[in-house]
Amino acid sequence: MSATSAVDTLQQELAAIVGAAHVGLPGVEINGIAPTVSVEPASEDEIVAVMRVAYQRGLVVAPAGGMTQIQIGGIPERIDILLQTTRLNGIQHYDPGDLTIGVGAGLRLGEMQRELGKHQQWIPYDPPNADSATIGGLLATAAAGPLKAGAGGPRDFCIGIQFVLAEGQKGKGGGRVVKNVAGYDLMKLMIGSYGSLAVITGANFKVFPRPRQTRTYQCCFASSQEALAFANTVLRSPMWPMCLELVSPGAQEYLREAPVTVDPDDYVPDHPAVRPASQWQLLVRMAGSDNILARCRRELGSSVSSELEGAAEEQLWGWVRRFEHSLLQRHRNAMVIYISTTIQGEAAVLQALERAAPEFNFIPAAVGRVPSGNFVLGLLPLAIDPPSAMQFVNCASHFRGLLPAGSSAMVAHCPKEAKAHFDVWGTTPTDLQLMKAVKHSLDPKNILNRGKFIV
Amino acid sequence: MNPSMLRQLKKAAGSNSLLDRPEDLVLYEYDAGVEKSLPSAVVFGENTQQISRVMRFCAEHKIPVVPRGAGTGLSGGAIALGHSVVLSTARMNKVLEVDLPNLRAVVQPGVVNLELSNHVVKHGVYYAPDPSSQRACTIGGNVAENSGGPHTLALGVTVNHVTGVEIVLPDGRIAEFGGKAQDAPGLDLTGFFVGSEGTLGVTTKITVKLTKLPESVATLLAIYNTVEDAANTVVAITQSGITPAALEMLDGWLLRAVEAAVHAGYPLDSAAVLLIELEGMKETVEEQADAVNRVCLQQGAREVRRVKDEAQRQALWLGRKTAFGAIGRVAISYYTQDAVIPRTKVPVTLAEIDRIGKQYGLQVANVFHAGDGNLHPLILFDGRDPVQAENSRKAGKEIMSFCLGLGGSITGEHGVGSEKINLMPYMFSESDLEVMVRLRNVFNPDSLLNPHKLIPETRMCREITGPLPKAMVEPAPGVPV
Repeated sequence: MSATSAVDTLQQELAAIVGAAHVGLPGVEINGIAPTVSVEPASEDEIVAVMRVAYQRGLVVAPAGGMTQIQIGGIPERIDILLQTTRLNGIQHYDPGDLTIGVGAGLRLGEMQRELGKHQQWIPYDPPNADSATIGGLLATAAAGPLKAGAGGPRDFCIGIQFVLAEGQKGKGGGRVVKNVAGYDLMKLMIGSYGSLAVITGANFKVFPRPRQTRTYQCCFASSQEALAFANTVLRSPMWPMCLELVSPGAQEYLREAPVTVDPDDYVPDHPAVRPASQWQLLVRMAGSDNILARCRRELGSSVSSELEGAAEEQLWGWVRRFEHSLLQRHRNAMVIYISTTIQGEAAVLQALERAAPEFNFIPAAVGRVPSGNFVLGLLPLAIDPPSAMQFVNCASHFRGLLPAGSSAMVAHCPKEAKAHFDVWGTTPTDLQLMKAVKHSLDPKNILNRGKFIV
Repeated sequence: MNPSMLRQLKKAAGSNSLLDRPEDLVLYEYDAGVEKSLPSAVVFGENTQQISRVMRFCAEHKIPVVPRGAGTGLSGGAIALGHSVVLSTARMNKVLEVDLPNLRAVVQPGVVNLELSNHVVKHGVYYAPDPSSQRACTIGGNVAENSGGPHTLALGVTVNHVTGVEIVLPDGRIAEFGGKAQDAPGLDLTGFFVGSEGTLGVTTKITVKLTKLPESVATLLAIYNTVEDAANTVVAITQSGITPAALEMLDGWLLRAVEAAVHAGYPLDSAAVLLIELEGMKETVEEQADAVNRVCLQQGAREVRRVKDEAQRQALWLGRKTAFGAIGRVAISYYTQDAVIPRTKVPVTLAEIDRIGKQYGLQVANVFHAGDGNLHPLILFDGRDPVQAENSRKAGKEIMSFCLGLGGSITGEHGVGSEKINLMPYMFSESDLEVMVRLRNVFNPDSLLNPHKLIPETRMCREITGPLPKAMVEPAPGVPV
């Protein structure tokens, strides 16, 4: 059978499941690999049927949601089917009185938050691109934003999950109630598994009352050490900040509306939107009544240089959330690294960045959640010469070598040409052999996201 | 176990680390639940290497092993079914490291929950999960069961406070998951491991989060003339936008038993009380205390008392946390449930529990984590009377099926163990359970580690998913749901 007719047969087979209108040729490449066919099932049962076809034929499947994070990971060996969950976008149940919600994996986070907002509720979850990112994709990539500092991540408020395994078998973990220890915690296993274990089809969350009023205090410091020392004072104070975000001088350029540029590599030094910053900022966001906010203001004392509320405050946090996307929008060759470290490790991580970046012709930029040790680092290639693939590889490797013990650095974005030469995931303290055995037990033919993830 | 095998096991464990005399073994045949089974031997874990040796020996000789902490579990998780060897981690009771700058502690599994908080409180921090048995239960056991407690309403249960574990697999291999930092790349096997009830591995080292002490704490005792008003208050507080640190309910019957046992200060003539705790910044706590006070009175509280001093607060909590024990003074036997329901369904569920109790002529006392809908109805009976014993089981099953019908769970914090393993098919399909069996087999392929716990074998499901509870799922006539 010729290649074309094999594709035709597959398309016909999939069309029989989901309808011809929902099978097509994908207009997207994942790290340079174009999927052969894209399919948009409308239900969990249709996903089961699609996976059965894929499994029987040994076809490689890449699950996809809003595709805001789809480029993260290694270069896929190949992608036969791009399985989009975007049509599973219903709200299965929402009980404002119980503060729980169950949704399909394809629902956009922004849409879910709008629904919750009607009842003055939300989930304190602010990953980038909430309007296009789907719940399934966000869970698969364990994406997070500044609210992680005070409220934790999806691992802390996802109370149930539904999924379909490679061979088309359904599974689920958890349930609809906020406290539940029946069975293995499959939410934890699926969150952050990058679509390598199963196709997530739905999830349940506990939701929270939305704070009626918040305020953000901007504090400026001459060095990262001073900023971190102050952040630690805040952590030990009686206050419980919603967000406690450190912003490096190099990152501040990206926390504003992007200047209109024709060429994404037209770097700022010639036309910076503002005078290059030299100070480190600490953004402290608090919630509560006037009385509570007044107390926080007193506690923070003279370190506060400005206060933001209302639309200006929302806008600032929107920019912080979108930090890595602003970087990538303006520098297509930027490298973005996600850091996991301890509170004490943060200073060393930032020093490592400041040392490694210039050695390999990068400009460093960093934002991060001090309480949880999650940092997003940007490395922007200087526009002196076109960057070489090995520049990224060597910089990442050198930087990783400078990290304090127990920290990890995952390269979330870099040019695909560099990805072929190193492991974007980096080291992990968790037993790799067992991770691989878990993957093999759920996807023995390795048809889900082959080549993408750490396992 | 034959004498030669026992000698070899003793050699692997060390001679001071094994019990095999019948009079010693009977101390390890029970936990705080209802089942009993005599182990063939008890091995004390002394360190990771020795546990690894013991596990390897047992795996080679196909001897089942049951890990055990303090034996305070309520679901039979530590019961040595089928003459298993009990592996106790109680002697591994050292706090290995307190890392204040990173707000972490590294502990051995046998550290008693409250001991960790006692150890670090001088630094202004504590370990937040506080199961009622925290004076005795171990952190290793808490990890196995993903234990909760009254103060987990705002701060989360054990899994939200564990960032890393070192485990020994059934074949003796030592593995590490996570560490002090969170969110390292790769699968979150730490989160997956917590709550696996000793079916995946034996924990030998645990890294936990430490939480700063709140600046201010307000404890309110809301007193009611009817259980219904108290139950409605729970719904109203949840909807008011306030998440208390703890929101507990005790019914009149139970608090009278508690008073007889510990003189905690609960009003003897009330039908129910809510014990509500608010924590945080002084200003936050004061505002929330006012708001909660208002809600309680609006919902018909007879009186809302604010606890004046720490001694009074401690007395009330001692009463709450020793409630199960207090029941022992007034009833020969009791059967504890651990169902979870959506919070708006607390009033209707309490009414139904009352009805079921009356139907079987049994007293049911209620003490539970109202704030997250985690009920602990205690069915009181005389275990010497086979009719009562049978009726208590029937009543328990009816309560559970009612809760399941509301979209609830069979267990909020006590675990499935062996006690509720037959109920798992009512929450999970055969396909769901087969996925869990596959995952267990990755770690524990022959199910030699804590066999017949938590996950029923799928062939077993076919035998137990009879119509029994499912037929009862619909609410009884006249019950407004």
